[in-house]
Amino acid sequence: MTGVDRLNDGGPFDRARRVREILSETGTLGSGGAMTGVPPSPDNAFEDVVPVEGDVVRSRAVQTHAIIPGDVGFCDGVQRFAVEGWVGVCPVIRAHVSAAVLLRKDRLLEPVVHRAQDFIVAPLDALGASVTERIREVGLPLFDTGPATRRHPTLDVRRAVQVIHGQRSELERAVAGEFRARFSDAWIVLDGGLRGYENFPGNDRLLGVIKSHETQYLAGADLNVALTLPAEHRTTVFERRSGDAGVHSWYLRLWDWEGHDLLYGLLRLERQPVHDISAEADCVSGWILAERVPLAGRSRRWDRFLYPIHQVEAYLNARTGAWA
Amino acid sequence: MGVTQPAHDSIVGRVVATEHLPASPHQFFFWSATETDVGIGAIVRVDGKRDRVVFAVVIDGKAYSDLSEPMHDVIAAHGDPASQDGATERREIRLWTAAVLRQMPEEPLQPVPLSTVTLASSDDVKLALRMESYVDGENSTAIPVGIYAAGGLRAPVYLDADFLLGPESAHLNITGVSGLATKTSAVEFFLACLFARFPAAKGRVAAVCFNVKGADLCFIDQPGELTESDLEAYETLGIEPRPFESARYFAPFKSDGVNLNTLRSHPDLISTVEPLVWGLREVLDYNEVLLNRDDLDAKAAAFIDFLRDRVVEKEFRDEWGNRHRVTTFADLDRLFRAIFDGLEAQGRSDTWRTHHIATIRKVRNRLINISVRCKGLVTDDGVSNDIPFGEFKDRDFYVIDVAGMDQLAQDLVFTRVVSQLREHLERRDLGVEHVVVFVDELNKYAPADGPDTYVRKMLLDIAERGRYLGLVLFSAQQFRSQVHRRIVGNAGTSAFGRMEMDELATPGYQVLSPATKIKLATLPKGEIMVRHPHFTQPVFLRFPRPPVLGGPAGLAKFPPAADVPMEEAVIAQLGSLDPKLERRAIRDAIAGRAEDDVRRALLATRRAAPDHVLKYFSKALGPKVQRGVADESRAGVAKLQSMQDPYAT
Repeated sequence: MTGVDRLNDGGPFDRARRVREILSETGTLGSGGAMTGVPPSPDNAFEDVVPVEGDVVRSRAVQTHAIIPGDVGFCDGVQRFAVEGWVGVCPVIRAHVSAAVLLRKDRLLEPVVHRAQDFIVAPLDALGASVTERIREVGLPLFDTGPATRRHPTLDVRRAVQVIHGQRSELERAVAGEFRARFSDAWIVLDGGLRGYENFPGNDRLLGVIKSHETQYLAGADLNVALTLPAEHRTTVFERRSGDAGVHSWYLRLWDWEGHDLLYGLLRLERQPVHDISAEADCVSGWILAERVPLAGRSRRWDRFLYPIHQVEAYLNARTGAWA
Repeated sequence: MGVTQPAHDSIVGRVVATEHLPASPHQFFFWSATETDVGIGAIVRVDGKRDRVVFAVVIDGKAYSDLSEPMHDVIAAHGDPASQDGATERREIRLWTAAVLRQMPEEPLQPVPLSTVTLASSDDVKLALRMESYVDGENSTAIPVGIYAAGGLRAPVYLDADFLLGPESAHLNITGVSGLATKTSAVEFFLACLFARFPAAKGRVAAVCFNVKGADLCFIDQPGELTESDLEAYETLGIEPRPFESARYFAPFKSDGVNLNTLRSHPDLISTVEPLVWGLREVLDYNEVLLNRDDLDAKAAAFIDFLRDRVVEKEFRDEWGNRHRVTTFADLDRLFRAIFDGLEAQGRSDTWRTHHIATIRKVRNRLINISVRCKGLVTDDGVSNDIPFGEFKDRDFYVIDVAGMDQLAQDLVFTRVVSQLREHLERRDLGVEHVVVFVDELNKYAPADGPDTYVRKMLLDIAERGRYLGLVLFSAQQFRSQVHRRIVGNAGTSAFGRMEMDELATPGYQVLSPATKIKLATLPKGEIMVRHPHFTQPVFLRFPRPPVLGGPAGLAKFPPAADVPMEEAVIAQLGSLDPKLERRAIRDAIAGRAEDDVRRALLATRRAAPDHVLKYFSKALGPKVQRGVADESRAGVAKLQSMQDPYAT
């Protein structure tokens, strides 16, 4: 297939070209391109939690000789987006999300589930009916950034990113569900929290690993304990609300943070509530400590990145290729 | 020959190309599974679109993981190398470099397509090495050279006789360390294949091999021990493993003149070794080999030319009325004495026929000394016994054992034998159209540096002109870098066995990849890397043990006999011609005879191999000359009565 063929085959490249043509014909202010950064997130959220392992949050040492589950699926997703053009000053964004689960069996990772989706995100009310209709004819799903009391390009992009993020989360849930259907006894480790997995089948073998700490759950002395955890220590478990149900969570320090910042090597883990959460947290923490080897050294965040999760990302990035 | 599609399940890799590792028309990269049959030297194929096929040989391989720096592994292991493996096996890559052997179609020549990679099949090997042009068909010129073995495939590989023995290109050079049975074994195997498969339409072929060390080539008429895998290899190659049963051996005598200077002296074999004895004529033509530049100035050379043209084997009358017919060194010495006596009698004259007496004395000293320095090969006055130039037959195999000779005599043998072969081939009267000459230890006889010897000039001449004549040089050495570049450069086919890393570090091997060099440095016995004009890249091949008895095994089976005294040697050698001869009769025949006479008669008898051995031998000895009894009255000059000693006081 030549390069010219590739631009006329009805695939993602072809459709992106057609979207640009439509925008060009309708008097846009210029074409866009792939975006490398996500606009700043909304103000960090704070959530209240309730200690469930004692009255206050404390630090506990974790035994490093842990039992690692046999079959484990590691689930993650990636997203790409590009502003294809502007209608007035409203962005028309083309996005790509993909998610996959890599099954680890006998120490070897193997991709078993993969899904990808391309779509358009734009403030439809600002686009106008005719442009919206023409873009729909391209064949890519079209999502609205939602109503806005006030239009601003930066806010529109941020809202679009939230839509894209939502689509990615949905795709991750979809691949996790597909994996669960095929491997009912396997554990699933998610890159992120368990929000949205409240009714996930077999969620007693579901673990959320959070390495970005944008939402704050602790304050005061509890926060001090969490952010100054020594290496190979965890906090006691606390519960956060997730819909009608609670989710148990705790912090775990993988590597000694001294000489680095407070979040260095710090993970937060999430589990569905179980009977003996204290023993469960020790056991799971020991397992995750064992996941430090091998090190995800290729990532800038290797202090918090589990190698298998990093491999899912690498796999998805390789599958996505030079997306534009 | 058409290209068949590979099976999907035979895919072993996929071509990758990046800006830093691009695919080009001559080289590309591909990755494979970590557990794979791909290895250095494996032949692979890449199938592109529009029936485009690329064949290539793997020349390098790399493995690495996604570890960005070693320190991360240390951190993960907490500094303890013995710590347990991680929960997940780190991702690795096997990244191979392949050098293109052939693209089909040849034009337009383009970078290798980014497609799947499969291991080559037997048919692929044939195409990749461009063998289809000379392997298939009635006029096949294919000579088996070994077996390509990779990924469970065993495919025969052939050389093109037109490029091995000429006229397109010629010569074979083998490099390898000593003691690993690579060089000699390979040559024996190649010659066995050549003799088995050289097409009759291309003419007759013979081989002349110089045994330069030990007993390497002393037992090639005896069957060697072959394993099951050797026999399978011969079957794959379509060759019947047979020794060179009609091989003929030549060796000079030792200095005693009766015991042959060879390790093939076991009583069961010694009768098949023929003495190599040369006389004045054979030596004089090659005096440049024996005399160095200091010896052979223009005046001396002119005098030797005079002797050769006007004296040797001609009726020659000197100024003092003597008639000479110089055929031996002894005759020559008599001529010199006559010249010196004549000049002395003349008085003050110091020139003879424009040659100064000092030059004559110098030439005399050097020439007469040859028979001393090459004793055993060069006879003073005996009968010469030479290789039967002009009577060569198809598939004749001559072994000339020079292992026990000194360097000078070896040089003489090389030069004369090869020169004779060349002259006969030029005249088309050798008896065959192609002769393979095998010379081992080439870095000794044709060094890259050092004096420009006659032997080196002769080897250069073969290398550069031999293919037009049918004179083909199979040569071997330990260090190719130390051999004259024009000799190894003219070898159309080169083979490399296990080699020293020091040698591989020399500039001549820069074209090889590091992995190929490492493979060469660790090659097991029976494996070689072969370059041939049809192969655009060198290929690694296996070859079976040669079908002949090797030197060490031969010595164990046929231990050399100890030297015997003159009388026993004569009895043994005449006895081998006629087993019915009685020892007493031989002893009587030689009783009281001069040793030189006995040697001469023995050689003449061996050469003639007459029906009546003793009768011929006795005749060759000549009549016995009785020592006369001195007469008292003629008892010499009377003593001086007295003489006053002037220095007594």
